[in-house]
Amino acid sequence: MASIAQPSSGLGQTVRKSLPAYGFLSPWLIGLFCLTAGPVLASLYLSFTNFDLIQTPRWVGTANYERIFTNDPKFIAAMKVTFTYVLLSVPFKLAFALMLAMALNRGIQGLSIYRAIFYLPSLLGASVAIAVLWRQVFAGDGLLNAVLKWAFGYQGPSWISNPDYALYTLVSLSIWQFGSPMIIFLAGLRQIPQDMYEAASLDGAGPMRQMFKITLPLLTPVIFFNGVIQTIEAFKAFTPAFIVSEGTGGPVDSTMFYTLYLYLEGFAYLRMGYASALAWVLVVIIAFFTAFSFLSAKYWVHYDD
Amino acid sequence: MTHAMDRRRLMTGTAAVLGLGWLSLPALAQEKRLRMFWWGSKERADRTFKGNKLYSAKNPGVKIDGETIGWSDYWPRMATQAAGRNLADVIQMDYRYIFEYARRGALLDLNPYVGKALDLSGFDKNSIDCGKVDGKLYGINLGNNSTAMLANISAFEGAGLKVPTGDLTWDEYGKLCAELTKAAKKDGFYGSMDSGGLEPSFEVFVRQRGKNLYSEDGKAGFSAEDASDWFAYWDGLRQSKACVPADVQALDKQNIETNPLTLGKAAVAFAHSNQLVGYQAVNPNKLSIGMYPSGGAGAKPGQYLKPSMFFSVAGTSKNPEDAVKVINFVINDPEGVKAYGVERGVPPSSKSRDLIAADLDALGKAQVDYIASVTSKVGPLPPPPPKGAGEIAFLLRRTNEEVGFGRIKPAEAGKKFLTEASSILSRG
Repeated sequence: MASIAQPSSGLGQTVRKSLPAYGFLSPWLIGLFCLTAGPVLASLYLSFTNFDLIQTPRWVGTANYERIFTNDPKFIAAMKVTFTYVLLSVPFKLAFALMLAMALNRGIQGLSIYRAIFYLPSLLGASVAIAVLWRQVFAGDGLLNAVLKWAFGYQGPSWISNPDYALYTLVSLSIWQFGSPMIIFLAGLRQIPQDMYEAASLDGAGPMRQMFKITLPLLTPVIFFNGVIQTIEAFKAFTPAFIVSEGTGGPVDSTMFYTLYLYLEGFAYLRMGYASALAWVLVVIIAFFTAFSFLSAKYWVHYDD
Repeated sequence: MTHAMDRRRLMTGTAAVLGLGWLSLPALAQEKRLRMFWWGSKERADRTFKGNKLYSAKNPGVKIDGETIGWSDYWPRMATQAAGRNLADVIQMDYRYIFEYARRGALLDLNPYVGKALDLSGFDKNSIDCGKVDGKLYGINLGNNSTAMLANISAFEGAGLKVPTGDLTWDEYGKLCAELTKAAKKDGFYGSMDSGGLEPSFEVFVRQRGKNLYSEDGKAGFSAEDASDWFAYWDGLRQSKACVPADVQALDKQNIETNPLTLGKAAVAFAHSNQLVGYQAVNPNKLSIGMYPSGGAGAKPGQYLKPSMFFSVAGTSKNPEDAVKVINFVINDPEGVKAYGVERGVPPSSKSRDLIAADLDALGKAQVDYIASVTSKVGPLPPPPPKGAGEIAFLLRRTNEEVGFGRIKPAEAGKKFLTEASSILSRG
């Protein structure tokens, strides 16, 4: 007969109370422990071996890690490509998502329809089909160049097969998938009390001032959340590079993302031990960035309490 | 009361389900399922599925599930399956990889089956030996092929030019293609594809200089100068517009469907002779087949006859006997031999060659004649490629792209290519 009003006392009660929660989480938990955790731990072990996918792995100590940091120019090149991608795609994507969320938040008619339309690219985004479509649009005789020629008489290059532009077409593909941060921004905007704006306009604050003094500060928790999630996603990007470059990271390694390099080492060159070490280096890099975001949060994220 | 009823009902229900399960089991047990895995074009898929169907018709109770994928995705998939001990029973294998897989114990030694389930009596010694690793037989040669130049006949003849053949030197070939580009006057259409990043092409070039791509002990067999000359040659062709520009070649996934010839951007593709069938299937214009340009006076033969591909049996196969029988079917049984035709190369068995000779179409005949005509002009089979050769093929493509996009001069590119290739080889 435990009632909800009763203050929780003792560990037993806490566990009993959270059991239903774990019950509902169980499909995910089972997946995590049975399907994800095992391979993740195995890869940590494999990163210290010379596993070639076929023969029994042999322990090589820290040789793989030593090679990554002292003797692997492709690692450096892949890091450059990946960082360029993260540093360009995340800010642009968030800015774009925020702009659209603000536009949609003006109480226009048929909001849910617009929301659905803008969300659509994100649903399709990570799929192979869209990456294939992107190939077609940005090819030498693709849609984009046809439009450029028709509108400006300009004969564009083959965007995806030129090392100067290939990476930026992938950045644009990422920005185009602004849907999920947009939805979260929209929810955040709705949380901001309307009376604050009313009070501000009574005090004579214009729209710009309202945005910088009310909207953005109150939205920082959401910006922070979106920033962390999108950064992690960007570091993990694989499908667009794999499909658009046909799995080569080309032309001239200009789209050799870290994850793609890791994949080629493991599956194309049969150096799964080395690829596992690369994967763990990526884990540390992502953890570092996430920790950095959380530490910096107290200087710029305003929580409402 | 209701409780007991429920339980009883549940038990009857369970029993019924189990009973049904038992009934259907014998039916399942009778059917043997084999898996077959190969790379290649749609044309190859059609022929292979047809062969499998014919085999099942002759051997009721054996069903073959085919899996097919393009060349570049094939090896990652194969590696994954090997790691998961989940290889297909019958595997299409390449000369480049048979040593790696055989020495790692992933393939079955087929020697015990020879003369029983596997009849190799029509094969000459060379055609059998090329599938041997350390004295054991791991691959059955499905066809002989050689490198070949495929050309769009009407493009050349329409421009009043001679269709390129192996009689030309590399320089003459470059001039001819530049003339074609000029004469064709079609926007975005060029004489040749850019073959500078294709390993088989580079290999022919190196062999014409009396060297091998890789030495017997697994080192690089070419010099930095050889590589520089090669990159410089293709750079010259790009500049004279004899071949497609770098950003067009970059779209080639090194398969038939995305080759500049198929996409209508070039009049010549550098390929393998058995691919004539696959190329012609997707090219509206009639294609000619000829040898690569020659190294000129005093040069050695660059090309060689090689097993285009093998069928191997996985070491983990649960039905090795049946898998061997399937292979035997496509190399000996008239139905199997005819279904495959010459799409995988010219059958090494003289009996099978005679079998298909009668109803060979013009295309098949062109290929058989080509192999017959080059036999006297080719060199010996090179030593098997060492570990890391696959990665070096990627490296060649990237280095040629670097030259193509003006990132590096050909002379430098040759040195860099040799340095990086040697580093890959020493790492293994």
